[in-house]
Amino acid sequence: MAPKYRLIYFNLRARAEPTRLLFAAAGLQYEDVRIRRDTEWPALKPNTPMGQVPVLEVDGVTICQSNAIARYVAKETGLAGKTNLEQAQVDMLVDGMGDLRGKQAAIRKASEDKKDQCKEELAAFAPNFLRRYEELSGPHAGHLVGDSLTWADLEFYDVMAKVLMYLPGILDNLPKLAKVMDTVPANKGVADWLAKRPETPH
Amino acid sequence: MPSYKLTYFNGRGTAEIVRLVFAAAGTEYEDVRLEQDQWPELKPNTPMGQLPILEMDGTMLCQSNSIARYIAKLAGLAGKTPLDQARVDMVMDGMVDMGNKFAYEIYYEKDEDKKAEKKKDYVEKYVPQFFSSLNKLASDGGYFAGDELTLADIAFYNMTTMVNPYLEQPLSLDGFPKLQKVEDNVTSNPGIAKWLKERPETPY
Repeated sequence: MAPKYRLIYFNLRARAEPTRLLFAAAGLQYEDVRIRRDTEWPALKPNTPMGQVPVLEVDGVTICQSNAIARYVAKETGLAGKTNLEQAQVDMLVDGMGDLRGKQAAIRKASEDKKDQCKEELAAFAPNFLRRYEELSGPHAGHLVGDSLTWADLEFYDVMAKVLMYLPGILDNLPKLAKVMDTVPANKGVADWLAKRPETPH
Repeated sequence: MPSYKLTYFNGRGTAEIVRLVFAAAGTEYEDVRLEQDQWPELKPNTPMGQLPILEMDGTMLCQSNSIARYIAKLAGLAGKTPLDQARVDMVMDGMVDMGNKFAYEIYYEKDEDKKAEKKKDYVEKYVPQFFSSLNKLASDGGYFAGDELTLADIAFYNMTTMVNPYLEQPLSLDGFPKLQKVEDNVTSNPGIAKWLKERPETPY
């Protein structure tokens, strides 16, 4: 029987990866569809809600917008936060991470002559940002919100894995955040996924 | 019930969606509007150095859409089923994209020629295409999720009216009858109608 969930994206991590990490962490089956931008995307595009991927197909409904998809899957997998308040805290931390993700992605997208400037912008932005996140991080070490794995931890891991490539020591004096980087891959489903996921440029 | 305190500057901006949700929910809150010179002192005491923030029962939330979703959930305005909630979230995110595109490509553009060209493109190509997508997502009755007002409908109204003052004329809903219904459903909601009449007039 076909899995209930069908995630469609390009053959990249990028905006689909947090959702893939959620499925992996919960051991929830899904179809991980990776389309070719040149041959397959033009035909699919008009059939998506907003002309973009990723999309998630479930029960005859198509959802777009990566955070909307991730939040839905987080709820399906019990990783969205245990109370309304925790869910709001998870949401706000993920929203904030969009800024860090953007600064990091800018480096990749920049033309060669602008890359150094983008790297400097990341280096200027990240310390204060992460210091605040260290303070916002809840009392249970290794989890940003509550006492167990949430979407916020997975999102953080995904973004920071890239940021650490440019700023390797940036979590040295931020013990709670550093612990999240240990806790996430200690989840068996995540570890299995990290080991077997396709190698992609980003 | 907890007491809610929303803090922002004296404008609609990114706080207005929260105010509209409070209005639709009929939930009391303190609508704090800071002067610019009050902000530096508060900034380090906010979660991410930004406004709006919502304070309640000794907790502080930030990020306008997260705050809006939290209040909407408590009032049953965030979508009744998980899939409806996902529909609400995707429309909200789409509206943020529409607003960000305007801000970064047009509002912050300093080159007047580029600005005019981008504006033309926005009004004549991008928005009609986006509205066409949104029109398909809305129900005949004018709701993006289920058959009652949700945060998605409010987000649509809020962002289109946020952008309109910066354009030569308001964005047209001609050819998008379901979107017109969405707008009507929002403005005729009693709590929202009252707020629209009473809210302070501000430059943004």
